[in-house]
Amino acid sequence: MHTAQVVEELNALFPHMHKEEQEAHPLGNGGAVALFPQTEDEIRNVVTYAREKKKKLAIIGGGTKRGFGGLVERTDLLLSLANYRGIVEHAVADMVITVKAGTNFQQLQDYLAEYRQKIALDPFLPLSATIGGVIAANDSGPKRLGYGAARDSVIGLRLIYPDGTVIRTGGKVVKNVAGYDMNKLFIGSMGTLGILSEVTVKLRPLPKYESLVLLAFPTGDTDTIRSFAVQFLDSMMEPVCLELLNPSLAEQLTGKRVYTLVIGFEDVKSAVHYQEAFVQRMQPPHTTMTILPPQEAQKFWQTFYEISPNGAMPPTDRAVEAAVKIGVVNLDVISVLRESELLQAFNVDIRAHGGLGHGLCRVYIKGAAESVVSSIEQLQAIAKQRKGYAVVTHLPLSFRQTIDVWGGKPSYFFLLEGIKAKIDPQRMFNDQRFVGGI
Amino acid sequence: MNSTGQNQAKTLGNYRWGDLPDPNKWADCVHCGMCLESCPTYEQTGQEQHSPRGRVHLMKAVAEGKLEITEDFIDPIFACLDCRACTTACPADVDVGGLIEEVRWQIRQAIPLTGTKAFISKLFLQGIFPHPSRLQALGRLLKLYQKSGLQKLVRQTGLLRLFPDHLAEMEAVLPAVGEPVRKKYKHSLVKAKGETKRTVALLTGCVMDVMFSDINEATIRVLTYNGNDVVIPPTQTCCGALHVHAGDKETGKMLAKQNIEAFQDVERVVVNAAGCGCMLKEYPELFRDDPVWHEKATQFSEKVEDISKYLYDTGYERPKAELAMRITYHDACHLAHGQGIRQEPRAILASIPGVELVEMPNADRCCGSAGIYNITHPEMAQAVLQSKMENIPNEVEIISMGNPGCMLQMAIGVLKHGRNEKIVHTVQLLDWAYQKENGKEWRT
Amino acid sequence: MRKKALYTNDPHIQALAQIVGEEAILYRKEDLIAYDCDGFTVHRHLPKAVVFPKHTAEVAAVVKYCHEHDLPFLARGAGTGLSGGAIPLNGEVVISLVRMKRLISVDLENRRAVVEPGFVNLKLTNSVANRGYYYAPDPSSQYCCTIGGNVAENAGGAHCLKYGVTTNHILGLEVVLPNGEMIEIGENGILDPPGYDLLGLLTGSEGTLGIVTKITVRILKSPEAKQTVLAYFDRVNDASQTVSDIISAGIVPAALEMMDQTAIEAVEAAAFPVGHPNDIEALLLIEVDGISAGIDEQIEEILHICRTRNVREVKVAQDEQERAKWWANRKTGFGAMGAISPDYLVQDGVIPRSKLPEVLQQIQQISEKYGLRIANIFHAGDGNLHPLVLFDSEKPGETEKALAAGSECLQACAAVGGSITGEHGVGIEKKEEMRFIFTDEEITAQTNIRDVFNRKNLLNAGKLFPTPGRCVEVKRA
Repeated sequence: MHTAQVVEELNALFPHMHKEEQEAHPLGNGGAVALFPQTEDEIRNVVTYAREKKKKLAIIGGGTKRGFGGLVERTDLLLSLANYRGIVEHAVADMVITVKAGTNFQQLQDYLAEYRQKIALDPFLPLSATIGGVIAANDSGPKRLGYGAARDSVIGLRLIYPDGTVIRTGGKVVKNVAGYDMNKLFIGSMGTLGILSEVTVKLRPLPKYESLVLLAFPTGDTDTIRSFAVQFLDSMMEPVCLELLNPSLAEQLTGKRVYTLVIGFEDVKSAVHYQEAFVQRMQPPHTTMTILPPQEAQKFWQTFYEISPNGAMPPTDRAVEAAVKIGVVNLDVISVLRESELLQAFNVDIRAHGGLGHGLCRVYIKGAAESVVSSIEQLQAIAKQRKGYAVVTHLPLSFRQTIDVWGGKPSYFFLLEGIKAKIDPQRMFNDQRFVGGI
Repeated sequence: MNSTGQNQAKTLGNYRWGDLPDPNKWADCVHCGMCLESCPTYEQTGQEQHSPRGRVHLMKAVAEGKLEITEDFIDPIFACLDCRACTTACPADVDVGGLIEEVRWQIRQAIPLTGTKAFISKLFLQGIFPHPSRLQALGRLLKLYQKSGLQKLVRQTGLLRLFPDHLAEMEAVLPAVGEPVRKKYKHSLVKAKGETKRTVALLTGCVMDVMFSDINEATIRVLTYNGNDVVIPPTQTCCGALHVHAGDKETGKMLAKQNIEAFQDVERVVVNAAGCGCMLKEYPELFRDDPVWHEKATQFSEKVEDISKYLYDTGYERPKAELAMRITYHDACHLAHGQGIRQEPRAILASIPGVELVEMPNADRCCGSAGIYNITHPEMAQAVLQSKMENIPNEVEIISMGNPGCMLQMAIGVLKHGRNEKIVHTVQLLDWAYQKENGKEWRT
Repeated sequence: MRKKALYTNDPHIQALAQIVGEEAILYRKEDLIAYDCDGFTVHRHLPKAVVFPKHTAEVAAVVKYCHEHDLPFLARGAGTGLSGGAIPLNGEVVISLVRMKRLISVDLENRRAVVEPGFVNLKLTNSVANRGYYYAPDPSSQYCCTIGGNVAENAGGAHCLKYGVTTNHILGLEVVLPNGEMIEIGENGILDPPGYDLLGLLTGSEGTLGIVTKITVRILKSPEAKQTVLAYFDRVNDASQTVSDIISAGIVPAALEMMDQTAIEAVEAAAFPVGHPNDIEALLLIEVDGISAGIDEQIEEILHICRTRNVREVKVAQDEQERAKWWANRKTGFGAMGAISPDYLVQDGVIPRSKLPEVLQQIQQISEKYGLRIANIFHAGDGNLHPLVLFDSEKPGETEKALAAGSECLQACAAVGGSITGEHGVGIEKKEEMRFIFTDEEITAQTNIRDVFNRKNLLNAGKLFPTPGRCVEVKRA
């Protein structure tokens, strides 16, 4: 069927829905026609149409993660939730909010800030990302140490299944063990099981005060970093992040090209100052310490969350950009960062950071195509050596088709396949977007 | 169903032998499981029929007629150490130990013991413990045996191998026997040193007086040192705890009556054996269905106090001499769980200058002695003892406690595990300090 | 203990005994009776046998045997569950995991520990406490419940308001699937393993998706400071309002517990009395922890809030001993009901915190309607209510009345947008009540997932989901 015909059918069925014909995108994950439903009923109707016509759907929010997974350049339809946004219910006293999946993440945080509340998630690219996309991709940042991830904040979801039914998982209460914890199944499922319609999350109070301690290690001696981290983690201090920046990322963010630890404190003022003083007391020799007060700390974070390649932005130059998420045992982050430095031998730009309290690293690679691919392969080897994994979270489509961005299948892949087959036997949603071609 | 109701009914499900177990005791059990980890036999087996709530569940099943009294029912009921740790752990205060004893009585009526088991049980429980003269005779024999070098001979020749293992181990640690105080102070009152503040009667105990008469001597010295006249009523007898634990309620009652009468004229009965003290305090339970004796037993039980609590409550003289020792304390089940006495003996030990009191992890865990349990269930007793030994803190010189049964069992443990700790009664340590203060030879 | 020779003609028992050894199987009625229920005693069924595997391979072999011979089976830990998840409804082979109770490893630098499923919850904290660490989920049964059971039920506890429930602390699982195959998820406890979040799915699946044989958990550093407040209120509404006010003030207490008058009567009559007054309508137990420098400020704010809400008396625990006493009194609250009632039925509804006064009033009405006393003990900070319906099963018809009253309490919770269970699980007890909050499609969505793992439905069948085609009204009739 030609695109024109499809558009005609769609116009007849959804006369008021915004539609756009789509060109191929270098990051792929597109559709011949993009649809922008504004209500849940419209989403259901699109799904019903697709099912009946045996069409496949790619699902998109802000488009920031367009380069994350997926082997298809353009499928039949691109379902965008960008126009499906807004707050469904904000129970201020209960500290719970339900929002439509297409709601912009930063706008949501700004709204909540008026109530001195926040969603306790710190995903990348909050200015462009939607809450639905953050949850579908299970994105999290350095503050995962203090606040956890989507799986710790999301208490309820509302989804459209491939058969058109609306399924609610979880609920509106902060503690709930009724039935399987189905929320978990959809968090990080890359839209392969259902279309997120509404998301209910529990909120936290905005901290009364915050600061960032930047501890720079000019000698580059990673043993010193390690022993400091071990000692600090063994103390009773409560950092919300303990993120190590590699020298080039530190230069971009702080102006100094040395390994730098970013230690965040969020608490009442006296407790924050107390912890700053604690770090000062245990500061290793030959290091420099800078304390960023609240406003500067916030500015630091604003820059920080934009360092990741953004799938929603047109590529700026010819260099290939890639982002890799590496999971290892917490303190192995130091080794991963040190070893990833060596990749500069491929003549690529490497910026990297990782949390010493949670074991997740992000490595951003920029350079010539071949070098980027070699670097990714190296990173996968480094992760594997440490019994961890490396997943490529951003890479142009053509390279994704040659490299397994998921780094292989887990031994229990048959269960993942089984789940997909039960829920989406026609492979209608985000076909081939996920691990092992699911 | 209330207890008067059952009296008339005379049976309760498959319990058919009078003196029925009290259903109110299991009615409080909501099967929450908080007792599980407190139970030494559950710890060893992981099997719930060997746990407090499992046993309650089984005992209830018999009352509900779902289960007959069979060998497989008896096993878990008799494998209970009766250590009462579950009573401490239970949020609803279910008296599992009491129930076990009541059901054991039913079992013994339903299935009398036969063979060797019956012989040993009968010999000890009915033939020896209730008869002070026979126990003393046994003690004399033991003394003779120890003094004459016979012991050495027996040990060397391996005659002990003829005993069951555990008896042989016990033999190895049996204390040298002194003269029983009940005999020594017959008909006489031991006057307080200085002014008499109070008069107390001492329960000499059966095993205690024969095998640990030095502890009785120490107890008397400590009491008189603190202004107590001590009387030792000659007609007192074994407390009956072992009998009641074993299900022999009849003998238990008989002994109880004798003791109640023996101590009729005294105001205070001091006990230095936790197992006995606990039993004395529980006499009223034996006579649940006998209003006259129940009343007498209640009055009697109110007079009973453990030596450590008695000293602590009435005020004892803080010793001035220093005993430079690292000591750990083991909570006898029938002191900690049975009588709720934990802090007083520790306070006494800590008050002795120079003593460094080190807490033992799981101090209130049963040592496996449990009356004659170490004779009837040697394997389980060994396993429980092993756990106990593993918890003894490093480099302590003395393990102190307030019960002779535990002392024997702990001594076996120390011997068996090649350890060096000495097993000493709490009151003995206080006695040592007083003796040293007065320039006497203080350590035995 | 008597050694029992295997004496049975049942080939299945013989085969299972071959796998685990004769000393590790129970099959006689006298031994099985202790396994006919767990902490939920309304339903009782004898298992076919109880086996005690010592390691994963034995679990896998037993499961494989059951799978091949179509024998229903289920896993059991300490059996302290309150919804009947470990009751052998179909005469299952019970796989008791209590002998798999090793602490396999502790890695303080990376804040994790690996345990076998039979390891007791509190023992983990005790094992790392000397280095200043602890395991956060603390269900009231933590003295004896196993971590394997905690994973199955996604156990909560008093301190999950700030620190989350079991699922937030599980990093990896080794699982024997219902066909006997063994898998490992989250190897080495590394976060976000690629693929659907099976850790999250298995945690809280009430033993219907697989049998957990090894668990990697997160351990936390103990907070530098901890303060506990006890507040007595004449009016239950004031206590409820205080809860809301504390949360709204931006304080995240480690725990925020409430007990009403009937509950207070029970704990005071039981083994760990504190000396609470008997004429107050409610008490709050509030704990804050964190950096010492900030704690006093938070406590002052809490005291201030209590006072503006007409507290009768409010005090801060003076030492660890006093704090421990308050907590022992609270944590043994359920069992304490035994002291004032022969039987009780505990419910586990969750509501949005702000609906507390409204729902409490409804529970009072339900109590009056059925003529049964209902005590309330709850994690007020989470909105997790535990109405305890007091009854006497010896009185004809009273058990049924209690069940109906309990169910109505859950309906009240569901009606305000809440849940029928916050931490006890659905089990047998609340499976029909699942319909209060889920549509048929939503329940099918869940059973579809079960079918992926548990194709033959031999593993813990008849739990968690309502009987198809049967509505709740029928059950009540």
